[in-house]
Amino acid sequence: MYAIIDCDNCYVSCERVFRPDLNGKPVVVLSNNDGCVVARSNEAKALGIKAGLPYYQLKERFPNNEITVFSSNYELYGDITDRVMSLVRKAAPTFYRYSIDEGFCDLSGMDSFPAAFHSSLKKWGEDLTAYIWKATRMPVSIGIASTKTLAKMASHYAKKYKGYNHCCFIETDEQRIKALEKYEIEEVWGIGRRYAARLQALGIKTALDFASHADTWVRATLNNVVAIRTWKELNGIDCIPMEDMSKRKSICTSRSFPGMVTDMDALRTSISNFAARCAEKLRKQESVAQTVSVFIDTNHFREDLPQYWNMAEERLLTPTNSTQQIVQTATRCTERIFRQGYHYKRAGVIVMGISPAGSIQTNFIDYDAERHEKMKRLDEALDKINREYGSETIVLGSQQYTKPGGKGKADVFKDSIKHDFRSPCYTTRWSDIPEAT
Amino acid sequence: MKDNKPMDGAEYITLEDAKRLKLPYFEGLAAGFPSPAGDYQHESLDLNEKFVHHPEASYFVRIRGESMVGLGLFDGDICLADRSEEISDGNIVVAFVNGGLTVKTLDTSTKDQGYLRLMPANPDFKPIIIDANDQFIIQGKVTSVHRDTRKY
Repeated sequence: MYAIIDCDNCYVSCERVFRPDLNGKPVVVLSNNDGCVVARSNEAKALGIKAGLPYYQLKERFPNNEITVFSSNYELYGDITDRVMSLVRKAAPTFYRYSIDEGFCDLSGMDSFPAAFHSSLKKWGEDLTAYIWKATRMPVSIGIASTKTLAKMASHYAKKYKGYNHCCFIETDEQRIKALEKYEIEEVWGIGRRYAARLQALGIKTALDFASHADTWVRATLNNVVAIRTWKELNGIDCIPMEDMSKRKSICTSRSFPGMVTDMDALRTSISNFAARCAEKLRKQESVAQTVSVFIDTNHFREDLPQYWNMAEERLLTPTNSTQQIVQTATRCTERIFRQGYHYKRAGVIVMGISPAGSIQTNFIDYDAERHEKMKRLDEALDKINREYGSETIVLGSQQYTKPGGKGKADVFKDSIKHDFRSPCYTTRWSDIPEAT
Repeated sequence: MKDNKPMDGAEYITLEDAKRLKLPYFEGLAAGFPSPAGDYQHESLDLNEKFVHHPEASYFVRIRGESMVGLGLFDGDICLADRSEEISDGNIVVAFVNGGLTVKTLDTSTKDQGYLRLMPANPDFKPIIIDANDQFIIQGKVTSVHRDTRKY
């Protein structure tokens, strides 16, 4: 049995934790750089505000501040969701965090408990959501079912219908069929929009249409590993291993620049920072990456300017999570694809081929144990300092901007991102803690 | 996953990871020969362990003003507030009242008359009366107060 815990309108709910006056009011959170709407409260959704709406259009439609707008504050969201996930971890035998706002519990340890306990799983879920709300002020929904795909579906029902009291348990086969029947195929976890279109063309509209096809039909017609797996899961056969979900397969750090970037130095510096961020994320989840990839792009909306897009990647002999090594690799990639004479609007670093840090298969030509140990210790020190004194307190030389007269160089990176409506980091910076009279 | 872009660039410190002040409970002897007290050594004391009972539910609040000096809460003090604690009459609470945060003692003795009172601990201040027309949300119980006393 699995439970999925999912924060409701996560970013908006985080913003409300220290602003309880905003409960019941329309609130949106903007993307990095205040570009467009990325998160909406239910009230904002009810006003017809769509995800992805550019901020300037939002302003045009609602000129009188009817809607409370926030820049993204990932530091706050990270801390609040960490609290939520920590409470879930304490309440379940096994827990895997899947993303910033959701995680899975494997409740199989609980299956062996007496039947009376088993049937009270719904109550376990309801009590947990109530406690999480009380302790952290984060509204969460819980879905419980025999497979992860069904649990995800259950969590949708828990979110959609108040009657479930934040927890939906698909327990009997009858409940499973009913849930599948009302569920559109494109909403099923693991079925992408494009794949859903293909299934719809075959006359499959709901999850039940899909699940009731025979095993042989699915194999013969679809011949797709993910589709077959999803078909099994919908039929109550548990077949997605936890390990497939606990760690992300690739990590991307990318940004649109507030203005446009034309020179190699500025671009290289930004990319160094993105690469450093990727390395930090890898270390946080105790992983290493094999491939580093860099992309750069011009502004497609500026048809008056010449357009250029390119991508370069480099495969490392030994997977790594070292800031120094990933930054160097990303820099080499950048140098390969940079072309003079273009106005760059967006760039990013993606690290791929992620595996657990413990199991590095050392390539014997490249692997230098002593150097590896040194870099590891350097990164540990880096992480420790940046955790204690704020991110980017210490950076590599290549991460620094060389603007003349620039103060606190690391700040230049942060300041270059637009965030006009950012809330305080109430729980992670002494300077930002709430004040009470 | 419309609203849930993968986490991008979030650095944070959980209360559990936060820098902990470890006070040495037992001073080790100089190196050279084994300490006869080695068997009696304890883990060092940890302020978080003593004061943060529910890390996920706790947060810091800075006191502004003189309204609670009678209970030893001075301007600039840092209080720890815990949202998971049960609240009852007489507790020091953090409350969101009509748009602002306040720290006061909760007085529910007037509940039957249809209002509550938030009591200051300073004769120069008046109680705050809370009735059905007020926006009033309790944000936790104050569980400890912290002050750097080096300035004295």
